[in-house]
Amino acid sequence: MSTPTDSRMAAISRLLQFTDSTFPVGTFSFSNGLETAAFENIVTDAASLHDFVKSQALQAAYSDGVAAIHAFRAFKDNDYEKIVEADKMLMLFKMNDEARLMLKRMGKKFAELSKKLFYNPLISRWLEDIKAERTPGSFPIAQGISYAAAGVTEADLFCAHQYGVINMVLSAALRCVKVSHYDTQKILFELSDNVESLYNEASQMELKDMNAFFPQLDILASLHEKGAMRMFMN
Amino acid sequence: MAIDPNERLKDLTIPEVDFSTAREMQPYLKEPPQMYVGAPGKHGYLRLGFELDSQGKSILRDLDRRVPLIAQQELYFDEEMPEMPCLYILSSGGPNVDGDRYQQDITVRKDAFAWVSTGAATKLAEMKFNYSGMIQNIVLEEGAYLEFMPEPVIPCRHTRFISDTRLCVHPTATVFYSEIYMGGRKYYKDGELFEFDILSVCSHGERPDGRQLFREKFVIDPNVVPVRQLGVMNQFDVFANVIVMTPKDHADRIYEKTPVYIDREKKIAVGITHLPNNAGLLFKVLGMEPGPVKKIVREFCSSVRMEVKGKPVPPEFPWR
Repeated sequence: MSTPTDSRMAAISRLLQFTDSTFPVGTFSFSNGLETAAFENIVTDAASLHDFVKSQALQAAYSDGVAAIHAFRAFKDNDYEKIVEADKMLMLFKMNDEARLMLKRMGKKFAELSKKLFYNPLISRWLEDIKAERTPGSFPIAQGISYAAAGVTEADLFCAHQYGVINMVLSAALRCVKVSHYDTQKILFELSDNVESLYNEASQMELKDMNAFFPQLDILASLHEKGAMRMFMN
Repeated sequence: MAIDPNERLKDLTIPEVDFSTAREMQPYLKEPPQMYVGAPGKHGYLRLGFELDSQGKSILRDLDRRVPLIAQQELYFDEEMPEMPCLYILSSGGPNVDGDRYQQDITVRKDAFAWVSTGAATKLAEMKFNYSGMIQNIVLEEGAYLEFMPEPVIPCRHTRFISDTRLCVHPTATVFYSEIYMGGRKYYKDGELFEFDILSVCSHGERPDGRQLFREKFVIDPNVVPVRQLGVMNQFDVFANVIVMTPKDHADRIYEKTPVYIDREKKIAVGITHLPNNAGLLFKVLGMEPGPVKKIVREFCSSVRMEVKGKPVPPEFPWR
């Protein structure tokens, strides 16, 4: 079994590895309703894209981010039941059908990779339970336990989670909104300023405190879910 | 058998409604200097139990209430389902005020059915010290059917409101549970929109064996997240949230039949998705005025009733 890494430099290297686009679940494009928002002329330029992504990041911070933090802590405490509890609570809270499907696909894939990287019994057990459908196997939980195994800090995990959410929508935006790489990088740069305050709030929240009020995003996701227009899985 | 007086007293006691451990309510826990929190008249309780009588008629068999909540006499005025008891919940106290607590327990027993609404919009008054809280327990037994379609909620400036709604629904039963929230008193003085302090609304579904199905919670604090931000309310002023717990076959057909759209001219947006664990559907509407939003919610209810009961919802009374 490999133990959580003690070396800070190795930990940072793994943080970079897990968030890199060459890592199979590191960073990817998932429009989260952006395709519909562009089609409906709700997101038309860099300014409206900035606001759209800001809402996405906020929505994720108080749900996925909270669950990832709890999974991270449970892994550190070697408390498997709490990992499963965070996984199940998050899926109870996920109201969008396609979002649930995406989180489960990515979570399982990340768990398969992590099993090969860390040879950790908690990760192996979690993967077995995903396969046996005893736990949903969501992506934020996979992030929480894998980042804990990699030896990064809880705040590092949260940064990676926020970076992943922002970047996946911005990557999709390059293909469906009239923006340039300069625009998307500027948005990513600016929204990074919010991460610390979001972490300060999310890190204080219990699982039962997870909340989201983004009805316009929900309706856009629903339109995409039922619509024929489909460049990206929502 | 003699009844233990302590047991009888326990039965008369109103369940405590307390959200003091909720993280988002921590800034709002001061005792009001007027009437204390939960004082008589500020601690409403309502228990409604619908069931089939010996002739198979759905009736209100069980009723208990404490001021300021009032349940009107059940009436059978639904022209498409004249066999269905229809009941209005009222409050003799007017709006919810600082330190009010409410609990509403509604049970629909095996194969019974009912329609429940409120007599008028629920106003949430300005609050300075504490908050107004409500717990709801809605229980549907095997084959039961409930349409819970209250009038909109209107939060005023500095309102603090929190609610927790538990929907315990048998896999064969159907509940239509709707909530409509206005941004505020839009036409009061110069207009008052999203000037409340906080709205915290949690609805969670479970099966009779306790298996949890979904948990939706939204906390709206306009001072933390700008409500006008793209993705939140943006330009819209009214929001409707409808939970339909129904067997999967019903849910799938209702989902297929329900149009989703953004109508830029009428400024209406409508969406639907499946709840987790095959619990049913979640339907959302955004609009500018309560009238059109109520109409869409009612049409959706009609679609649900048509699927489950084979009958539509009649047109709304013109005075509503």
